Amino acid sequence: MRPTTEFREMIKSEYSISKFYLTALFFLTSLSILSPTLSDTIDDNVSEISYHLMCPVCQGQSVAESNSELAKDMRAIIRKKLEQGSTKEEILAYFVDRYGESILGSPPAKGANWLLWILPAFAILFGGICIGVFLYRSKTNRLQPETTKEGELISPRSEYIEKLDRELKDLDR
Amino acid sequence: MKILSVVSKLAIFIGIVIILGIFGYAIFGNRVIIKKSPLIASEAPNFTLDLFNGDKIKLSELRGKAVLLNFWASWCIPCRDEAPALESSWLKYKDKPVVFLGVNIWDDDSNAISYLRTYNGGYPNGKDPAGDITVNYGVAGVPATYFIDTTGKITDKYVGPLTVDIIDHFLSRALLNSDHEVSYETDN
Repeated sequence: MRPTTEFREMIKSEYSISKFYLTALFFLTSLSILSPTLSDTIDDNVSEISYHLMCPVCQGQSVAESNSELAKDMRAIIRKKLEQGSTKEEILAYFVDRYGESILGSPPAKGANWLLWILPAFAILFGGICIGVFLYRSKTNRLQPETTKEGELISPRSEYIEKLDRELKDLDR
Repeated sequence: MKILSVVSKLAIFIGIVIILGIFGYAIFGNRVIIKKSPLIASEAPNFTLDLFNGDKIKLSELRGKAVLLNFWASWCIPCRDEAPALESSWLKYKDKPVVFLGVNIWDDDSNAISYLRTYNGGYPNGKDPAGDITVNYGVAGVPATYFIDTTGKITDKYVGPLTVDIIDHFLSRALLNSDHEVSYETDN
């Protein structure tokens, strides 16, 4: 028994509606996953800015990592400023104006600070030169015959030859 | 071979001198920058302080007077050490255009009130529960004291326990441009 045309139309229309709802649901879910809410964005920005600031009362901890009262206050102020529409640069400048440049996790490469940026490269270069010189010298020393202070050639095998000579002489006796 | 040896020795020597110089600058050069507050000589950030007695004080309303702004906490031992000096100095400057203000930070209200009953006699004290005033003034520890002149500019910041002499010294600087003269007496 074949379904009537009406029944087929009904099924078709219900199928279309379901398809529409499913598609809409999929897009809405995707959008909610892909586009973070405003509070998520602010949370992320608070974390990001906090990582750029060093906690003034802690040893080597950023404001994001520290649980000190001051770090909590600073995070709250960052949040407040973000909600008021301040940019990351403005917020960082606000803290620099109050605590000085030492509050920044990575000091700006200006003034004497550039030394901090070139120091690692300089240390690697200097270390490389030292290793290079050491290897070159040790290679040259290995290739060149050893000489006495007077320039007399010292054969590396001379001791063995002398020992051999002594043993041969002993055998001859 | 000999030339190479001299060059490498010279390079090592120069390298060590440069590295030591950089370390020296990092240790001793920055020390001055860390100690000096960037807020000195700039306008003191305005605030409204909620006092423990329920009143409010607005810094901008104190224009024309020098202000000693002291940040403290009840758990802070150096704060207890400086409390008698603050109290006696407040009595000394009571009739002069000087306002002493205490700001309690990173503390419980009950502990702070108990501390005030023990150590504080008269000058106004308030709290900063959100840390707005604390961060706005770049406070990184207690006790920390700011001296604000009669025009509303920060003249000095002092970190550590105050003495009567230290207070006299910094208040005389804060009152330098005002018409009022402050006698700066030391034991020396």
